[in-house]
Amino acid sequence: MLLRRLLLVGASGGVGFLLLSALGYALEHPEATGDARIRLLWCLVPLAATVHLAAAVARTETGARAMSGLDAAGIGPARLPALAAVSATLSSLLGSALGLLVFLLLRGDVHGVPYSGVASELLGGQRPMPTAAALTLLCVTPLSAACVSALTVRTAPTRRGVPAPARTEPTGPEAASPRAVPDTAAQPVRQTRAAGAVRSAYPGTAGAPEHGPGPAPSEPAGARRQSVTAPAGLPWGTALVATGVALVAFTHSGPSSALRGDELLPLPGTLDGSPPGVLLGWLLTACGLVLAGPGLTYLCGRLIGLGRPGVLRLLAGRTLQEEARRIGPPVGAMCAVASGGLAALELYGDLPAGEPRVFGPLTALGAGLVLCCVAASLLTATGECRTARTAATDTLRHIGAPRSLLRRAAAVRGVSLVALLVPVIWAVGTLAALPLRSTVG
Amino acid sequence: MAAPPDDDVLWARELHYAYDGSPALQGVTLGVREREIVTVTGPRGSGKTTLLGCLSGRLAPKSGEIWFNSLPVHTLGRQSRERLRRDRFGWIGSEPQLVPELTAWENAALPLLLNGARQRTARSSATEWLERLDIADCARKRPAALVQSQRQRVAIARALASRPAVLFADEPTAPLHRTDRLHALRTLVSAARSHGITMLLATHDPAAGATDEVVGTSVADRRISLVDGRHARPTGAPDTKGSATCSLFV
Repeated sequence: MLLRRLLLVGASGGVGFLLLSALGYALEHPEATGDARIRLLWCLVPLAATVHLAAAVARTETGARAMSGLDAAGIGPARLPALAAVSATLSSLLGSALGLLVFLLLRGDVHGVPYSGVASELLGGQRPMPTAAALTLLCVTPLSAACVSALTVRTAPTRRGVPAPARTEPTGPEAASPRAVPDTAAQPVRQTRAAGAVRSAYPGTAGAPEHGPGPAPSEPAGARRQSVTAPAGLPWGTALVATGVALVAFTHSGPSSALRGDELLPLPGTLDGSPPGVLLGWLLTACGLVLAGPGLTYLCGRLIGLGRPGVLRLLAGRTLQEEARRIGPPVGAMCAVASGGLAALELYGDLPAGEPRVFGPLTALGAGLVLCCVAASLLTATGECRTARTAATDTLRHIGAPRSLLRRAAAVRGVSLVALLVPVIWAVGTLAALPLRSTVG
Repeated sequence: MAAPPDDDVLWARELHYAYDGSPALQGVTLGVREREIVTVTGPRGSGKTTLLGCLSGRLAPKSGEIWFNSLPVHTLGRQSRERLRRDRFGWIGSEPQLVPELTAWENAALPLLLNGARQRTARSSATEWLERLDIADCARKRPAALVQSQRQRVAIARALASRPAVLFADEPTAPLHRTDRLHALRTLVSAARSHGITMLLATHDPAAGATDEVVGTSVADRRISLVDGRHARPTGAPDTKGSATCSLFV
């Protein structure tokens, strides 16, 4: 829990620093308004990753286990969003304060400490800092993290729908009404093994040919739908990815784009000629990947359990299918980041030495931040899944499933997920970079 | 170390167990013969679950001996106890304890699959038991789609499908309504009788007047009462076998 909070603090600190850097750049270059604006816009990517992490942390902290204790103490589901929002705000505010401190230190506003002013040129250290603008920028992360956390917690119980199945009280009418023929079912065991013969021998059971004397197949409402069906995002995600890639290709090959080699770069640094179509296409692709994440995870689980699986593949596949809704979005985000990184490498990795430097320290910080946030979200979601599966794991242990089997099942899940996702990442990354690359060549 | 009596399939002597210092079992001795059905009664907190847990190898007692046939369970390591539990013992808890992502038949077949049975064999065996328990039409549903009594029957099928030598049933009817209780208990008892399974059945306090207690006394061969982790009255000695009223009154 402390680690998750610290991660959130670090991430929001990094985002605050990046936002302030954009402000510093704008102060330093008052004439390049467009460039400064684009720099600020690029800060949205780490911001989105941080907010994503905040949502994951909020979801984990208000998990079923924590909930029961708080419920007993009087903080019911209605007040949980407020709690999550306050928690996220505090962590992010602390992070923003740290970011401000580091920014001021590196800029040279704090004297008498080591490293003071080492990056004053990069961060616009020559001009005074407008306090109101800085504070506004610093408040962006806490506010958005708080809002998203509260919303996540508020919608979580209905959207995710994960009641502990063993605890679900029977809600069908049969649960309350005594059954018509309770006595006959003990006989079949002694008499014969064939159910058909039982029914013919015992008219009481034969009277209920379809369902036996037990409850009719009335189900707790919605219980079946949530666990069996696949997440619906895969087609939409695929469509979005395709649209995004097509948009990149279309915008870029069109006559309006007049990119030269040194203006290719839509990253903060040298940036005038990044057509909005390309950015929009990349954004769509990333969104599509995030949307497709749960579907991909579910599909992977399905593939593991194909055919007549043994107990290892059965457990691994079904668990992955069950977890798809939880770990799917972070997995999709990871895919998006990885394919983005791949595309960036394809594009800028082999530029000649004479080209302007593309990966500055701020870019590196932003990329690292995004990567850390996404990885942390994935880990948080994995931890959440493990907590949610405690009961099932206990059951398996009680039956006598060896520990090594559970470990091997987890390994099979991880390896097969990676094996499925690597080609996807490679394909999307290459496709997204392909049109731009052909222009460069 | 005294050798256990020859005709006892399960035998325990002077069992002591404590949860983090608070004592749960304080010197319980008992022997269970082959094909015998023994009920363990007592109020909540009297140590029924702990006793069954120790006997089935889930919990390691602080002191005392447990013998299964000629196997000293109390000296076994964790893995050996796991294997013993998987191969020879069955367990039905007061909660169904099903794996939520597996369907009913997969849950019932899980012990067989864990024992290395082929999928087809395990499936037919599990389906057979589900049919006997009248929930064959639920075989392809997941636990979340079943009502509690159906889930509990799946748990019973899971315990019986692997043909255990000893079946531990820890208040198997606790979450059920009265009619379901009666049904589940009778199914269990008749299955144990017809397949020669030794069964230890923990039930509620007799003073509660519960239905399963009425059934329990009439179907069981013997009754052991626990109070505060001790015998309420000394019935543990093998030579004081109870009334042996084996009638199933069906």
